[in-house]
Amino acid sequence: MLDLLLQTGLNALYSASYISLVAVGLVLIFGVMGIVNFAHGELFMAGAYVVVALYSGFKLPYLLVAAIGLIFVGCLGLLMERTMFRPLRTNPLGGLVASIGFLMILQALASMTFGVRMAFVPPVTQEVIEFSERVRLPVQRLYVILAAFGFLTLLWLFLTKTRFGWALRASAQDPEAAALQGISINQTAKIAMFIGAALAGIAGVLTAPLISVNPHMGHSVIIAAFIVAIVGGVGSLEGAVVASVAYAFVHTFVTTFFDGVIADITGLSLMLIVLIIKPTGLFGTADRA
Amino acid sequence: MLLEMKGAAVDYGRVSAVRDISINVEEGSVVTIIGGNGAGKTTTLRAMSGLARLSRGEITFDGKRIDNLPADKVVGLGMAHVPEGRRIFPDLTVEENLRTGAFLRRDKVAVAADLDKIYAKFPRLKERRSQWAKTMSGGEQQMLAIGRALMSDPRILLMDEPSMGLAPVIVEEIAVIIEELSAQGMTVVLVEQNAELALELADYAYVLETGNLALEGPAKELHDNEHVRAAYLGI
Ligand SMILES: Nc1ncnc2c1ncn2[C@@H]1O[C@H](COP(=O)(O)OP(=O)(O)O)[C@@H](O)[C@H]1O
Ligand SMILES: [Mg+2]
Repeated sequence: MLDLLLQTGLNALYSASYISLVAVGLVLIFGVMGIVNFAHGELFMAGAYVVVALYSGFKLPYLLVAAIGLIFVGCLGLLMERTMFRPLRTNPLGGLVASIGFLMILQALASMTFGVRMAFVPPVTQEVIEFSERVRLPVQRLYVILAAFGFLTLLWLFLTKTRFGWALRASAQDPEAAALQGISINQTAKIAMFIGAALAGIAGVLTAPLISVNPHMGHSVIIAAFIVAIVGGVGSLEGAVVASVAYAFVHTFVTTFFDGVIADITGLSLMLIVLIIKPTGLFGTADRA
Repeated sequence: MLLEMKGAAVDYGRVSAVRDISINVEEGSVVTIIGGNGAGKTTTLRAMSGLARLSRGEITFDGKRIDNLPADKVVGLGMAHVPEGRRIFPDLTVEENLRTGAFLRRDKVAVAADLDKIYAKFPRLKERRSQWAKTMSGGEQQMLAIGRALMSDPRILLMDEPSMGLAPVIVEEIAVIIEELSAQGMTVVLVEQNAELALELADYAYVLETGNLALEGPAKELHDNEHVRAAYLGI
Protein backbone atom coordinates (compact mmCIF):
# COMPACT_ATOMS: atom_id res chain seq x y z
CA MET A 1 0.00 0.00 0.00
CA LEU A 2 2.77 2.43 0.85
CA ASP A 3 4.37 1.57 -2.47
CA LEU A 4 1.17 2.38 -4.29
CA LEU A 5 0.86 5.70 -2.50
CA LEU A 6 4.45 6.63 -3.30
CA GLN A 7 4.07 5.60 -6.91
CA THR A 8 0.85 7.58 -7.28
CA GLY A 9 2.55 10.54 -5.63
CA LEU A 10 5.32 10.44 -8.24
CA ASN A 11 2.75 10.23 -11.02
CA ALA A 12 0.95 13.21 -9.56
CA LEU A 13 4.16 15.21 -9.32
CA TYR A 14 4.74 14.56 -13.00
CA SER A 15 1.21 15.72 -13.95
CA ALA A 16 1.53 18.74 -11.72
CA SER A 17 4.73 19.69 -13.53
CA TYR A 18 3.38 19.98 -17.03
CA ILE A 19 -0.04 21.27 -15.96
CA SER A 20 1.61 24.09 -14.02
CA LEU A 21 3.75 25.06 -17.01
CA VAL A 22 0.61 25.36 -19.13
CA ALA A 23 -1.48 27.04 -16.42
CA VAL A 24 1.14 29.62 -15.46
CA GLY A 25 1.39 30.75 -19.08
CA LEU A 26 -2.39 30.99 -19.30
CA VAL A 27 -2.51 33.08 -16.13
CA LEU A 28 0.38 35.31 -17.24
CA ILE A 29 -1.35 36.09 -20.53
CA PHE A 30 -4.64 36.77 -18.80
CA GLY A 31 -2.95 38.94 -16.21
CA VAL A 32 -1.16 41.19 -18.67
CA MET A 33 -3.62 41.24 -21.57
CA GLY A 34 -6.95 40.46 -19.94
CA ILE A 35 -7.54 37.79 -22.57
CA VAL A 36 -8.45 34.16 -21.97
CA ASN A 37 -6.32 32.33 -24.49
CA PHE A 38 -8.42 29.36 -25.56
CA ALA A 39 -5.68 28.32 -27.99
CA HIS A 40 -3.31 27.65 -25.12
CA GLY A 41 -3.84 23.88 -25.26
CA GLU A 42 -3.01 23.98 -28.96
CA LEU A 43 0.27 25.75 -28.21
CA PHE A 44 1.02 22.74 -25.99
CA MET A 45 0.07 20.51 -28.93
CA ALA A 46 2.29 22.54 -31.28
CA GLY A 47 5.25 21.90 -28.96
CA ALA A 48 4.57 18.17 -29.13
CA TYR A 49 4.41 18.25 -32.93
CA VAL A 50 7.75 20.02 -33.11
CA VAL A 51 9.08 16.85 -31.47
CA VAL A 52 7.19 14.68 -33.97
CA ALA A 53 8.64 16.63 -36.91
CA LEU A 54 12.21 17.21 -35.79
CA TYR A 55 12.92 14.39 -33.35
CA SER A 56 10.86 11.52 -34.74
CA GLY A 57 11.19 12.81 -38.32
CA PHE A 58 14.56 14.47 -38.82
CA LYS A 59 16.23 12.70 -35.89
CA LEU A 60 17.70 15.89 -34.50
CA PRO A 61 19.07 15.69 -30.92
CA TYR A 62 16.28 16.02 -28.35
CA LEU A 63 17.84 18.97 -26.52
CA LEU A 64 18.12 20.93 -29.75
CA VAL A 65 14.52 20.03 -30.59
CA ALA A 66 13.47 21.25 -27.15
CA ALA A 67 15.17 24.60 -27.72
CA ILE A 68 13.61 24.94 -31.16
CA GLY A 69 10.19 23.96 -29.79
CA LEU A 70 10.42 26.56 -27.04
CA ILE A 71 11.32 29.34 -29.45
CA PHE A 72 8.95 28.24 -32.20
CA VAL A 73 5.91 28.12 -29.92
CA GLY A 74 7.00 31.37 -28.25
CA CYS A 75 6.98 32.94 -31.71
CA LEU A 76 3.50 31.55 -32.34
CA GLY A 77 2.55 33.52 -29.23
CA LEU A 78 4.11 36.66 -30.71
CA LEU A 79 2.18 36.05 -33.92
CA MET A 80 -1.09 35.79 -31.98
CA GLU A 81 -0.29 39.00 -30.11
CA ARG A 82 0.49 40.97 -33.24
CA THR A 83 -2.28 39.69 -35.49
CA MET A 84 -5.15 39.15 -33.05
CA PHE A 85 -4.77 40.44 -29.53
CA ARG A 86 -3.22 43.82 -30.34
CA PRO A 87 -5.93 44.89 -32.82
CA LEU A 88 -8.49 43.57 -30.31
CA ARG A 89 -6.85 45.20 -27.27
CA THR A 90 -10.01 47.00 -26.19
CA ASN A 91 -12.22 44.02 -26.93
CA PRO A 92 -11.51 41.05 -24.62
CA LEU A 93 -14.47 39.08 -25.95
CA GLY A 94 -13.14 39.56 -29.49
CA GLY A 95 -9.74 38.35 -28.30
CA LEU A 96 -11.33 35.25 -26.82
CA VAL A 97 -13.23 34.48 -30.05
CA ALA A 98 -10.09 35.07 -32.11
CA SER A 99 -8.16 32.68 -29.87
CA ILE A 100 -10.80 30.00 -30.52
CA GLY A 101 -10.31 30.62 -34.24
CA PHE A 102 -6.56 30.24 -33.82
CA LEU A 103 -7.14 27.00 -31.91
CA MET A 104 -9.05 25.60 -34.89
CA ILE A 105 -6.41 26.74 -37.36
CA LEU A 106 -3.65 25.05 -35.38
CA GLN A 107 -5.67 21.83 -35.08
CA ALA A 108 -6.41 21.85 -38.81
CA LEU A 109 -2.76 22.51 -39.66
CA ALA A 110 -1.66 19.65 -37.41
CA SER A 111 -4.24 17.28 -38.91
CA MET A 112 -3.30 18.20 -42.49
CA THR A 113 0.42 17.96 -41.90
CA PHE A 114 0.65 14.97 -39.60
CA GLY A 115 -2.71 13.20 -39.89
CA VAL A 116 -5.38 12.89 -37.24
CA ARG A 117 -4.05 9.72 -35.70
CA MET A 118 -1.66 9.42 -32.84
CA ALA A 119 1.86 10.30 -33.93
CA PHE A 120 4.78 8.13 -32.95
CA VAL A 121 7.51 9.60 -30.78
CA PRO A 122 10.42 7.29 -29.96
CA PRO A 123 11.46 7.34 -26.29
CA VAL A 124 14.23 9.79 -25.48
CA THR A 125 15.45 7.51 -22.74
CA GLN A 126 14.29 4.12 -21.57
CA GLU A 127 15.94 4.44 -18.22
CA VAL A 128 13.88 4.01 -15.09
CA ILE A 129 14.85 4.89 -11.57
CA GLU A 130 13.70 2.09 -9.30
CA PHE A 131 13.15 3.22 -5.74
CA SER A 132 11.73 -0.19 -4.94
CA GLU A 133 10.14 -2.99 -6.91
CA ARG A 134 6.90 -1.14 -7.26
CA VAL A 135 8.00 2.49 -7.01
CA ARG A 136 9.52 3.48 -10.31
CA LEU A 137 10.17 6.80 -12.00
CA PRO A 138 10.91 6.78 -15.73
CA VAL A 139 13.75 9.21 -16.37
CA GLN A 140 11.76 11.03 -19.06
CA ARG A 141 9.20 11.88 -16.37
CA LEU A 142 12.01 13.07 -14.15
CA TYR A 143 13.07 15.40 -17.00
CA VAL A 144 9.56 16.88 -17.05
CA ILE A 145 9.60 17.45 -13.29
CA LEU A 146 13.07 19.00 -13.30
CA ALA A 147 12.39 21.15 -16.34
CA ALA A 148 9.14 22.47 -14.88
CA PHE A 149 10.93 23.28 -11.66
CA GLY A 150 13.74 24.98 -13.59
CA PHE A 151 11.53 27.02 -15.91
CA LEU A 152 9.20 28.14 -13.13
CA THR A 153 12.21 29.21 -11.07
CA LEU A 154 13.56 31.16 -14.03
CA LEU A 155 10.19 32.80 -14.54
CA TRP A 156 10.04 33.75 -10.88
CA LEU A 157 13.54 35.25 -11.04
CA PHE A 158 12.60 37.16 -14.17
CA LEU A 159 9.42 38.55 -12.61
CA THR A 160 10.95 39.57 -9.29
CA LYS A 161 14.52 40.53 -10.10
CA THR A 162 14.52 42.27 -13.48
CA ARG A 163 13.11 45.59 -14.63
CA PHE A 164 11.13 43.93 -17.40
CA GLY A 165 9.73 41.54 -14.81
CA TRP A 166 8.56 44.43 -12.64
CA ALA A 167 7.18 46.09 -15.75
CA LEU A 168 5.19 42.99 -16.62
CA ARG A 169 3.68 42.76 -13.15
CA ALA A 170 3.03 46.51 -13.01
CA SER A 171 1.27 46.41 -16.33
CA ALA A 172 -0.84 43.44 -15.20
CA GLN A 173 -1.88 45.33 -12.06
CA ASP A 174 -2.60 48.72 -13.63
CA PRO A 175 -1.81 49.17 -17.34
CA GLU A 176 -2.51 52.89 -17.30
CA ALA A 177 -0.32 53.61 -14.27
CA ALA A 178 2.34 51.44 -15.94
CA ALA A 179 2.12 53.56 -19.10
CA LEU A 180 2.80 56.61 -16.94
CA GLN A 181 6.12 54.98 -15.98
CA GLY A 182 7.05 54.53 -19.64
CA ILE A 183 5.95 50.90 -19.84
CA SER A 184 4.18 50.28 -23.11
CA ILE A 185 1.43 47.69 -23.06
CA ASN A 186 2.49 46.53 -26.55
CA GLN A 187 5.88 45.69 -25.14
CA THR A 188 4.64 43.85 -22.06
CA ALA A 189 1.98 42.04 -24.11
CA LYS A 190 4.69 40.73 -26.44
CA ILE A 191 6.79 39.51 -23.53
CA ALA A 192 3.81 37.87 -21.82
CA MET A 193 2.69 36.14 -25.01
CA PHE A 194 6.17 34.89 -25.81
CA ILE A 195 6.77 33.52 -22.33
CA GLY A 196 3.25 32.14 -21.89
CA ALA A 197 3.28 30.39 -25.25
CA ALA A 198 6.85 29.14 -24.84
CA LEU A 199 5.98 27.56 -21.48
CA ALA A 200 3.04 25.71 -23.05
CA GLY A 201 5.30 24.72 -25.94
CA ILE A 202 8.02 23.34 -23.72
CA ALA A 203 5.41 21.38 -21.76
CA GLY A 204 4.34 19.81 -25.07
CA VAL A 205 7.94 19.09 -26.04
CA LEU A 206 8.64 17.43 -22.69
CA THR A 207 5.54 15.25 -22.57
CA ALA A 208 5.49 14.27 -26.26
CA PRO A 209 7.44 11.04 -25.67
CA LEU A 210 5.11 10.11 -22.79
CA ILE A 211 1.58 10.78 -23.96
CA SER A 212 -0.54 10.32 -27.02
CA VAL A 213 0.37 13.06 -29.53
CA ASN A 214 -2.62 13.94 -31.70
CA PRO A 215 -4.24 17.15 -32.98
CA HIS A 216 -6.77 17.15 -30.12
CA MET A 217 -4.37 16.56 -27.26
CA GLY A 218 -4.74 20.18 -26.12
CA HIS A 219 -8.24 19.58 -24.75
CA SER A 220 -7.55 17.69 -21.56
CA VAL A 221 -4.61 19.85 -20.58
CA ILE A 222 -6.45 23.12 -21.19
CA ILE A 223 -9.35 21.97 -19.03
CA ALA A 224 -6.94 21.13 -16.23
CA ALA A 225 -5.20 24.48 -16.75
CA PHE A 226 -8.48 26.41 -16.62
CA ILE A 227 -9.52 24.67 -13.41
CA VAL A 228 -6.14 25.35 -11.89
CA ALA A 229 -6.11 28.99 -12.99
CA ILE A 230 -9.55 29.58 -11.50
CA VAL A 231 -8.87 27.70 -8.27
CA GLY A 232 -5.52 29.42 -7.84
CA GLY A 233 -7.15 32.82 -8.24
CA VAL A 234 -7.18 34.24 -11.74
CA GLY A 235 -4.19 36.49 -12.12
CA SER A 236 -2.10 34.84 -9.43
CA LEU A 237 0.92 32.93 -10.73
CA GLU A 238 1.75 31.45 -7.31
CA GLY A 239 -1.87 30.40 -7.04
CA ALA A 240 -1.64 28.63 -10.40
CA VAL A 241 1.40 26.64 -9.30
CA VAL A 242 -0.06 25.67 -5.92
CA ALA A 243 -3.39 24.77 -7.50
CA SER A 244 -1.63 22.72 -10.21
CA VAL A 245 0.03 20.61 -7.58
CA ALA A 246 -3.19 20.23 -5.59
CA TYR A 247 -5.23 19.42 -8.67
CA ALA A 248 -2.72 16.92 -10.03
CA PHE A 249 -2.54 15.10 -6.72
CA VAL A 250 -6.30 14.88 -6.31
CA HIS A 251 -6.83 13.91 -9.93
CA THR A 252 -4.08 11.30 -10.02
CA PHE A 253 -5.06 9.71 -6.73
CA VAL A 254 -8.74 9.53 -7.62
CA THR A 255 -7.87 8.12 -11.04
CA THR A 256 -5.69 5.46 -9.45
CA PHE A 257 -8.10 4.42 -6.72
CA PHE A 258 -11.41 4.96 -8.60
CA ASP A 259 -11.31 5.97 -12.24
CA GLY A 260 -10.66 8.87 -14.62
CA VAL A 261 -14.25 10.06 -14.97
CA ILE A 262 -14.70 10.26 -11.21
CA ALA A 263 -11.40 12.13 -11.07
CA ASP A 264 -12.65 14.72 -13.59
CA ILE A 265 -15.86 15.14 -11.60
CA THR A 266 -13.89 15.47 -8.37
CA GLY A 267 -11.64 18.12 -9.90
CA LEU A 268 -14.58 20.21 -11.09
CA SER A 269 -16.42 19.76 -7.78
CA LEU A 270 -13.41 20.94 -5.84
CA MET A 271 -13.22 23.98 -8.11
CA LEU A 272 -16.86 24.77 -7.34
CA ILE A 273 -16.30 24.32 -3.61
CA VAL A 274 -13.30 26.65 -3.66
CA LEU A 275 -15.29 29.22 -5.62
CA ILE A 276 -18.20 29.03 -3.19
CA ILE A 277 -15.93 29.48 -0.18
CA LYS A 278 -13.62 32.03 -1.78
CA PRO A 279 -14.98 33.42 -5.07
CA THR A 280 -11.65 34.99 -6.00
CA GLY A 281 -9.78 31.68 -5.82
CA LEU A 282 -7.17 30.66 -3.30
CA PHE A 283 -4.66 33.42 -4.03
CA GLY A 284 -6.87 35.84 -5.92
CA THR A 285 -7.68 39.42 -5.09
CA ALA A 286 -11.05 40.90 -5.89
CA ASP A 287 -10.11 43.46 -8.51
CA ARG A 288 -9.16 41.08 -11.32
CA ALA A 289 -11.82 38.46 -10.80
CA MET B 1 7.25 78.22 -21.44
CA LEU B 2 8.03 74.67 -20.38
CA LEU B 3 4.49 73.41 -20.95
CA GLU B 4 1.83 75.05 -23.08
CA MET B 5 -1.69 73.86 -23.67
CA LYS B 6 -3.53 75.85 -26.34
CA GLY B 7 -7.26 75.73 -27.08
CA ALA B 8 -7.45 72.15 -25.89
CA ALA B 9 -10.65 70.10 -25.84
CA VAL B 10 -11.23 66.51 -24.74
CA ASP B 11 -14.38 64.49 -25.43
CA TYR B 12 -15.50 61.20 -23.94
CA GLY B 13 -17.48 59.77 -26.82
CA ARG B 14 -20.02 62.46 -27.65
CA VAL B 15 -19.72 64.16 -24.29
CA SER B 16 -17.38 67.09 -24.09
CA ALA B 17 -15.34 66.99 -20.87
CA VAL B 18 -13.23 70.13 -21.29
CA ARG B 19 -13.04 72.75 -24.06
CA ASP B 20 -10.92 75.70 -25.07
CA ILE B 21 -8.39 75.22 -22.31
CA SER B 22 -5.17 77.22 -22.54
CA ILE B 23 -2.67 76.77 -19.77
CA ASN B 24 0.92 77.97 -19.60
CA VAL B 25 3.45 76.59 -17.18
CA GLU B 26 6.70 78.46 -16.77
CA GLU B 27 9.79 76.48 -15.86
CA GLY B 28 10.32 76.39 -12.09
CA SER B 29 6.83 77.59 -11.22
CA VAL B 30 3.99 75.91 -9.36
CA VAL B 31 0.74 76.17 -11.30
CA THR B 32 -2.52 74.99 -9.86
CA ILE B 33 -5.79 74.04 -11.45
CA ILE B 34 -8.67 74.23 -9.01
CA GLY B 35 -12.33 73.48 -9.48
CA GLY B 36 -15.18 71.42 -8.13
CA ASN B 37 -15.87 67.76 -8.65
CA GLY B 38 -16.34 66.96 -12.35
CA ALA B 39 -14.98 70.30 -13.53
CA GLY B 40 -12.43 68.62 -15.81
CA LYS B 41 -9.23 68.90 -13.78
CA THR B 42 -8.27 65.24 -14.10
CA THR B 43 -9.10 65.22 -17.79
CA THR B 44 -6.85 68.24 -18.37
CA LEU B 45 -3.96 66.58 -16.56
CA ARG B 46 -4.52 63.30 -18.42
CA ALA B 47 -4.35 65.16 -21.71
CA MET B 48 -1.03 66.68 -20.70
CA SER B 49 0.57 63.33 -19.90
CA GLY B 50 -0.85 61.55 -22.92
CA LEU B 51 -3.50 59.44 -21.22
CA ALA B 52 -6.32 61.36 -22.92
CA ARG B 53 -6.40 62.50 -26.55
CA LEU B 54 -7.30 66.02 -27.58
CA SER B 55 -10.12 66.54 -30.02
CA ARG B 56 -8.92 70.13 -30.61
CA GLY B 57 -5.95 72.25 -29.69
CA GLU B 58 -2.36 71.38 -29.01
CA ILE B 59 0.17 70.79 -26.25
CA THR B 60 3.84 71.60 -26.46
CA PHE B 61 6.46 70.57 -23.95
CA ASP B 62 9.78 72.37 -24.16
CA GLY B 63 8.77 73.55 -27.63
CA LYS B 64 7.90 70.07 -28.89
CA ARG B 65 4.37 68.94 -29.82
CA ILE B 66 3.38 66.08 -27.51
CA ASP B 67 -0.38 65.82 -27.92
CA ASN B 68 -0.07 62.88 -30.29
CA LEU B 69 2.36 60.90 -28.17
CA PRO B 70 1.19 57.98 -26.02
CA ALA B 71 1.73 58.32 -22.27
CA ASP B 72 4.62 55.84 -22.24
CA LYS B 73 6.56 58.19 -24.57
CA VAL B 74 5.69 61.45 -22.81
CA VAL B 75 7.28 60.36 -19.53
CA GLY B 76 10.55 59.82 -21.37
CA LEU B 77 10.59 63.52 -22.26
CA GLY B 78 10.59 64.46 -18.59
CA MET B 79 6.95 64.71 -17.54
CA ALA B 80 5.86 62.65 -14.55
CA HIS B 81 2.20 62.26 -13.57
CA VAL B 82 1.06 61.34 -10.07
CA PRO B 83 -2.43 60.16 -10.94
CA GLU B 84 -5.66 60.71 -9.06
CA GLY B 85 -6.12 58.00 -6.45
CA ARG B 86 -2.34 57.35 -6.33
CA ARG B 87 -2.50 54.19 -8.49
CA ILE B 88 0.54 52.57 -6.95
CA PHE B 89 1.13 48.94 -7.96
CA PRO B 90 -0.45 47.05 -5.04
CA ASP B 91 1.32 43.74 -5.56
CA LEU B 92 4.78 45.15 -6.10
CA THR B 93 6.94 45.96 -3.12
CA VAL B 94 7.61 49.56 -2.20
CA GLU B 95 11.05 49.40 -3.75
CA GLU B 96 9.79 47.66 -6.90
CA ASN B 97 7.24 50.46 -7.26
CA LEU B 98 9.99 53.05 -7.00
CA ARG B 99 12.27 51.24 -9.42
CA THR B 100 9.42 50.88 -11.87
CA GLY B 101 9.27 54.68 -11.90
CA ALA B 102 12.79 54.60 -13.33
CA PHE B 103 11.82 52.06 -15.99
CA LEU B 104 13.13 54.12 -18.91
CA ARG B 105 16.40 55.14 -17.27
CA ARG B 106 19.46 53.07 -18.11
CA ASP B 107 22.04 54.81 -15.93
CA LYS B 108 22.08 52.45 -12.93
CA VAL B 109 24.35 54.64 -10.83
CA ALA B 110 22.12 57.70 -11.19
CA VAL B 111 19.01 55.61 -10.48
CA ALA B 112 20.58 54.21 -7.32
CA ALA B 113 21.51 57.73 -6.21
CA ASP B 114 17.95 58.96 -6.82
CA LEU B 115 16.56 56.01 -4.89
CA ASP B 116 18.72 57.01 -1.95
CA LYS B 117 17.52 60.60 -2.24
CA ILE B 118 13.91 59.50 -2.20
CA TYR B 119 14.53 57.27 0.81
CA ALA B 120 16.12 60.27 2.53
CA LYS B 121 13.09 62.41 1.70
CA PHE B 122 10.60 59.69 2.72
CA PRO B 123 12.17 57.64 5.53
CA ARG B 124 8.98 55.62 5.94
CA LEU B 125 9.35 54.30 2.42
CA LYS B 126 12.81 53.11 3.30
CA GLU B 127 11.57 51.31 6.41
CA ARG B 128 8.95 49.56 4.31
CA ARG B 129 10.97 49.03 1.17
CA SER B 130 10.29 45.29 0.96
CA GLN B 131 6.62 45.37 1.96
CA TRP B 132 3.79 45.01 -0.53
CA ALA B 133 2.67 48.49 -1.50
CA LYS B 134 -0.95 47.58 -0.76
CA THR B 135 -0.16 47.14 2.94
CA MET B 136 0.67 50.82 3.37
CA SER B 137 -1.58 53.59 4.66
CA GLY B 138 -3.14 56.15 2.34
CA GLY B 139 -0.57 58.79 3.21
CA GLU B 140 2.31 56.41 2.68
CA GLN B 141 0.83 55.36 -0.64
CA GLN B 142 0.69 59.00 -1.70
CA MET B 143 4.35 59.42 -0.73
CA LEU B 144 5.11 56.30 -2.75
CA ALA B 145 3.24 57.64 -5.76
CA ILE B 146 5.21 60.89 -5.54
CA GLY B 147 8.47 58.99 -5.05
CA ARG B 148 7.72 56.76 -8.02
CA ALA B 149 7.11 59.81 -10.20
CA LEU B 150 10.35 61.45 -9.02
CA MET B 151 12.28 58.29 -9.92
CA SER B 152 11.82 59.14 -13.59
CA ASP B 153 13.95 62.25 -12.93
CA PRO B 154 11.27 64.57 -14.34
CA ARG B 155 11.46 68.21 -15.34
CA ILE B 156 7.79 68.68 -14.51
CA LEU B 157 5.56 66.95 -12.00
CA LEU B 158 1.81 66.70 -12.57
CA MET B 159 -0.08 65.96 -9.36
CA ASP B 160 -3.76 65.09 -9.26
CA GLU B 161 -5.33 65.77 -5.87
CA PRO B 162 -2.44 64.56 -3.71
CA SER B 163 -4.39 65.59 -0.58
CA MET B 164 -7.45 63.51 -1.40
CA GLY B 165 -8.73 61.42 1.49
CA LEU B 166 -5.79 62.17 3.77
CA ALA B 167 -5.73 63.36 7.37
CA PRO B 168 -4.80 67.05 7.88
CA VAL B 169 -1.40 66.16 9.34
CA ILE B 170 -0.53 64.16 6.25
CA VAL B 171 -1.84 66.88 3.95
CA GLU B 172 0.51 69.26 5.72
CA GLU B 173 3.40 66.86 5.09
CA ILE B 174 2.54 66.68 1.41
CA ALA B 175 2.40 70.47 1.23
CA VAL B 176 5.89 70.64 2.71
CA ILE B 177 7.12 68.15 0.13
CA ILE B 178 5.70 70.21 -2.72
CA GLU B 179 7.31 73.34 -1.29
CA GLU B 180 10.65 71.60 -1.02
CA LEU B 181 10.46 70.27 -4.56
CA SER B 182 9.59 73.72 -5.81
CA ALA B 183 12.45 75.26 -3.85
CA GLN B 184 14.77 72.79 -5.57
CA GLY B 185 13.56 74.09 -8.92
CA MET B 186 10.94 71.49 -9.85
CA THR B 187 8.10 72.68 -12.05
CA VAL B 188 4.75 71.51 -10.66
CA VAL B 189 1.21 71.39 -11.99
CA LEU B 190 -1.05 70.80 -9.01
CA VAL B 191 -4.69 69.84 -9.40
CA GLU B 192 -6.73 70.27 -6.23
CA GLN B 193 -10.23 70.48 -4.85
CA ASN B 194 -8.58 71.79 -1.70
CA ALA B 195 -8.31 75.34 -3.07
CA GLU B 196 -6.97 76.82 0.15
CA LEU B 197 -3.96 74.52 0.04
CA ALA B 198 -3.45 74.86 -3.70
CA LEU B 199 -3.55 78.67 -3.72
CA GLU B 200 -1.11 78.76 -0.84
CA LEU B 201 1.40 76.59 -2.70
CA ALA B 202 1.01 77.93 -6.24
CA ASP B 203 2.44 80.90 -8.09
CA TYR B 204 -0.29 80.95 -10.69
CA ALA B 205 -3.77 79.44 -10.73
CA TYR B 206 -6.50 78.45 -13.15
CA VAL B 207 -10.11 77.89 -12.14
CA LEU B 208 -12.06 75.27 -14.09
CA GLU B 209 -15.84 75.23 -14.07
CA THR B 210 -17.81 72.55 -15.95
CA GLY B 211 -15.10 72.06 -18.53
CA ASN B 212 -14.30 75.73 -19.14
CA LEU B 213 -11.61 77.98 -17.80
CA ALA B 214 -13.50 80.48 -15.66
CA LEU B 215 -10.64 82.48 -14.20
CA GLU B 216 -6.90 82.66 -14.09
CA GLY B 217 -4.30 84.77 -12.42
CA PRO B 218 -1.52 84.88 -9.85
CA ALA B 219 -2.48 82.64 -6.94
CA LYS B 220 -2.40 85.51 -4.46
CA GLU B 221 -4.85 87.54 -6.55
CA LEU B 222 -7.23 84.62 -6.94
CA HIS B 223 -7.06 84.04 -3.23
CA ASP B 224 -8.54 87.53 -2.76
CA ASN B 225 -11.02 87.19 -5.60
CA GLU B 226 -14.65 87.46 -4.43
CA HIS B 227 -15.92 84.62 -6.61
CA VAL B 228 -13.10 82.29 -5.64
CA ARG B 229 -13.57 83.10 -1.97
CA ALA B 230 -17.28 82.43 -2.13
CA ALA B 231 -17.18 79.34 -4.36
CA TYR B 232 -13.98 77.56 -3.34
CA LEU B 233 -12.69 78.92 -0.07
CA GLY B 234 -15.99 79.03 1.75
CA ILE B 235 -15.32 82.49 3.15
N1 LIG C 1 -13.91 57.93 -18.59
C1 LIG C 1 -14.90 58.84 -18.69
N2 LIG C 1 -15.96 58.60 -19.51
C2 LIG C 1 -16.95 59.51 -19.63
N3 LIG C 1 -16.98 60.68 -19.01
C3 LIG C 1 -15.97 60.99 -18.18
C4 LIG C 1 -14.87 60.07 -17.97
N4 LIG C 1 -14.00 60.63 -17.10
C5 LIG C 1 -14.55 61.83 -16.77
N5 LIG C 1 -15.71 62.05 -17.41
C6 LIG C 1 -16.54 63.25 -17.32
O1 LIG C 1 -15.75 64.35 -17.69
C7 LIG C 1 -16.00 65.45 -16.84
C8 LIG C 1 -14.72 65.89 -16.18
O2 LIG C 1 -14.26 64.89 -15.28
P1 LIG C 1 -12.89 64.97 -14.51
O3 LIG C 1 -11.86 65.43 -15.45
O4 LIG C 1 -12.67 63.67 -13.84
O5 LIG C 1 -13.19 66.10 -13.44
P2 LIG C 1 -12.45 66.45 -12.07
O6 LIG C 1 -11.13 65.80 -12.05
O7 LIG C 1 -12.36 67.94 -12.10
O8 LIG C 1 -13.33 65.98 -10.97
C9 LIG C 1 -17.05 64.99 -15.85
O9 LIG C 1 -18.31 65.45 -16.32
C10 LIG C 1 -16.98 63.51 -15.89
O10 LIG C 1 -18.22 62.94 -15.63
MG1 LIG D 1 -10.38 64.51 -10.67
